[in-house]
Amino acid sequence: MAEMWISMGPQHPMTHGLWTLKVKVDGETVVDTEPDLGYIHRGVEKICESRDFTQITTYCDRLCYASANTWSHAYIYAAEDLLGVEVPERAEYIRLVAVEIQRIASHLMWLGAYGPDIGNLSVMVWCLREREMMMDLLQELGGSRMHYNFPRIGGVKRDLPHGFALRARHKLNLFLDRIQEYESLFDESTVFLIRSQGVGYAKPEEMINHGVSGPNIRAAGVNHDIRNSHPYSVYSELDWEPAVERSSIKGADCYDRYRIRVEEMRQSANLVLQALDKIPGGAETYHEPGDPKIIGKAPTRAPEGTSGSHHFEDSRGESMFYIAGGGDGRGKMPYRVSIRSPMFITIPYASKCMIGYKVADIPAIMGSFDPCIGETDR
Amino acid sequence: MASSDWLDVRGWTESFIGWSMDKTHDVLPSEDIDLEFSITRPRWFLEEPIVIGSEINIQSGFAEIQPSLEAFFVSTIMCTVVFATMMLTLMVVPYIERKFIGRLMDRIGATTSLRSLWIGEGPSTAGDWWNKLPMGMGVPIGMVNKSLNSVLGNSHHLETIDRVGNRGYHGIWFLFPGFFQALADFLKFATKEHLIPEKADKLVFEVAPVIIIATTIMCYAFIPFGPHIWAANPDLSLLFLMAIFGVAPLGVFFAGWASNNKYTLIGGMRSAAQLTAYEIPLLITVLSIAVISGSFNILEIVDFQIETSDTWNLFILPLGAVLFLITMIAEVERIPFDMPEAEAELVEGWWTEYGGIRWGLMFAVEMMRAYAACILFAMFFLGGWEFPFQDTLSGIPVIGTLVDLIPGIAVVLIKAWLLFAFFVWVRASLHRIRTDQILEFGWRYLLPLSILNLAIAMYLRLEVWTGTSWPIWVPPVITILGIILFVIYAIDEDKDALEYSRRPYNTQTLDKAYPGSRRD
Repeated sequence: MAEMWISMGPQHPMTHGLWTLKVKVDGETVVDTEPDLGYIHRGVEKICESRDFTQITTYCDRLCYASANTWSHAYIYAAEDLLGVEVPERAEYIRLVAVEIQRIASHLMWLGAYGPDIGNLSVMVWCLREREMMMDLLQELGGSRMHYNFPRIGGVKRDLPHGFALRARHKLNLFLDRIQEYESLFDESTVFLIRSQGVGYAKPEEMINHGVSGPNIRAAGVNHDIRNSHPYSVYSELDWEPAVERSSIKGADCYDRYRIRVEEMRQSANLVLQALDKIPGGAETYHEPGDPKIIGKAPTRAPEGTSGSHHFEDSRGESMFYIAGGGDGRGKMPYRVSIRSPMFITIPYASKCMIGYKVADIPAIMGSFDPCIGETDR
Repeated sequence: MASSDWLDVRGWTESFIGWSMDKTHDVLPSEDIDLEFSITRPRWFLEEPIVIGSEINIQSGFAEIQPSLEAFFVSTIMCTVVFATMMLTLMVVPYIERKFIGRLMDRIGATTSLRSLWIGEGPSTAGDWWNKLPMGMGVPIGMVNKSLNSVLGNSHHLETIDRVGNRGYHGIWFLFPGFFQALADFLKFATKEHLIPEKADKLVFEVAPVIIIATTIMCYAFIPFGPHIWAANPDLSLLFLMAIFGVAPLGVFFAGWASNNKYTLIGGMRSAAQLTAYEIPLLITVLSIAVISGSFNILEIVDFQIETSDTWNLFILPLGAVLFLITMIAEVERIPFDMPEAEAELVEGWWTEYGGIRWGLMFAVEMMRAYAACILFAMFFLGGWEFPFQDTLSGIPVIGTLVDLIPGIAVVLIKAWLLFAFFVWVRASLHRIRTDQILEFGWRYLLPLSILNLAIAMYLRLEVWTGTSWPIWVPPVITILGIILFVIYAIDEDKDALEYSRRPYNTQTLDKAYPGSRRD
């Protein structure tokens, strides 16, 4: 059969967003691929140059619809590095709770989307229901369902509300039970195993060369988790180790990438449970917004010549903000903001991973890398 | 049984048509009518007069064509009856498809989901229904259910369902909420514009749906709904049926090619490739049924189970039943074998360019094919229109009378609907497999197994069958053997073998993960 190019996207069930994957197929076999990004470029970096430091948080929330909290936290840590702010320990614990619950919600969104990618719709409904529990928890913290605007420079917006720890413990324990149901639907299904194992091998050395990070690289056995290797926040005070999959010498296949995210969900739930136990002052006490226990003093201006950056373990990999101070209003706004998006680096590599596999493997491979186009196009 | 069903639609039709034909015969004039007249010509032109017409008798002339007229009217009426029955009962199928999978996705378990089909879907009705029984009669049921769930079922945490709320309330339609949704959808399709892609092959594009729809409806000519509700009954109805059933994939291939779209082309190719993998095992399995029943006629196959052998074929050929089910799921292109319309990578596969009423009709036809597969399974393996243990129950005084009052069509339909619920259950639990994998599965597993099944059927028919019945030990032994083999197959999760055969370099990832497990 002659070779032909198929343009999968911008509207296509495989894309999980707005982008195009051009695939050259020979019958059912993928011969070549070419990703085409940039359909929803909003110029977030440029917008940030005309907003002051507190206003930027809302824009960072909107970088990724599935993982809003991690992105605003990534910005906040960079801004605190720039402005030199001391954060109260209780606020750090609350941030950890918010980020890890968001990580669970993001991975659930991924798992829910991965089911239809390989033909099972019920797992999507199951996962979105558990995601609903996580969104309820996040809503208690931030007040909204998707774009929380929760962290503040120097702390957090609000303390844990009354009864939050009780509900969070209950829901997370319930969630830990339910992960086994996903595993019974995925791991114990031969159809899933033959669809995901031996498909979409990604070699660790190639991924390191491309700059792929996060769960995708840990699935290939590279023990690189910013939370562990360069600990920020209070991760070093909790008892945990990053989940790393021991994959084959060919690299990580789709099954490894599935397993690593399920393990990470478990780990995040355990991190939250630990943090609720260890939080200084106890999880049941409540401080009014603006209390120095949950938010520290922060300057509003960064003079010219200063810069701050922070590497952050996002749900999809290593996100980084670089902020140069000294913009408009005598340093009230940043001079330049640069965002490192993990998926912008991963998607071109994932497209190359498909070469040699079948057309039916395209969604299985692309879905297993967990693309999010909001942050990719920024 | 075939004779004792009181719902004798065919007999009623025949006697009514026969009676009205007889009456017509009687009112026709019985005396001879002389229509003879002669033309005389001058002698020099023609000596004999030309005689035109003859002496006729309308009554006797009608009597000559009466049998064929009767057959024509009877078959017309029966075709209408069967088609109407099929279309009306088909409405249950999308209802089951939507409702059952929706409740399975609510994680309320397969049995509760099944029950929600007829007692509503709210947590109060589909949940602890036994507590609604008077005088605490349901308490033991609840205890048994709870203990069974604790051992075999998933623990039901229903708070997320409660959070969504009781969606079971739909006005007065508390019994079948959403039943007429399919009708509404169909009306919507009927009002849509008909679009043909500019560069499509217009003739083939228009002909392909006709091929698919017409052949599928033709299948129902040979599918009996009851002992006396069938449209046509040739001696080789099984062959006719399977031949017509296999035409539709050809139409799918036409449709995929004619749409001039890359997705539809790949979908059509997949359909053609898949066809070779499942059609041959399917036909060999059907052949084994013909062998064991000694007939190519569907009515006779059912009568063989009900009257001659008094045992459902399921208990004689369990392997054949499993093979037939699997290959039929592939034939009607449902998950896990729905690669031609894999929506994740091919948008909608070969359907992509169709819209409006063509799309709606083809969707209805897909349901019809699945429905036909279910009815055929009920005919071939579940004794057709026989109520379970009907012979035994008929002997009991009151219950026997009541059981005999259940018309055969009700039994057939309930069996078919439950089987369709099984299809939906499969769809809710499995993923879609790849084209190369179904080819491998078909050629390497289904084909040898179906030949083995045929050999078993031949052996049983030639060596074990006594000529009038099965020896008393045959059905229980085969059933117990089948159950044992199934249990061994189901519990035999040889994880080491999985690990080493499929993933030669991987040692850890198939381990059952547990909370807090760390790998580094």
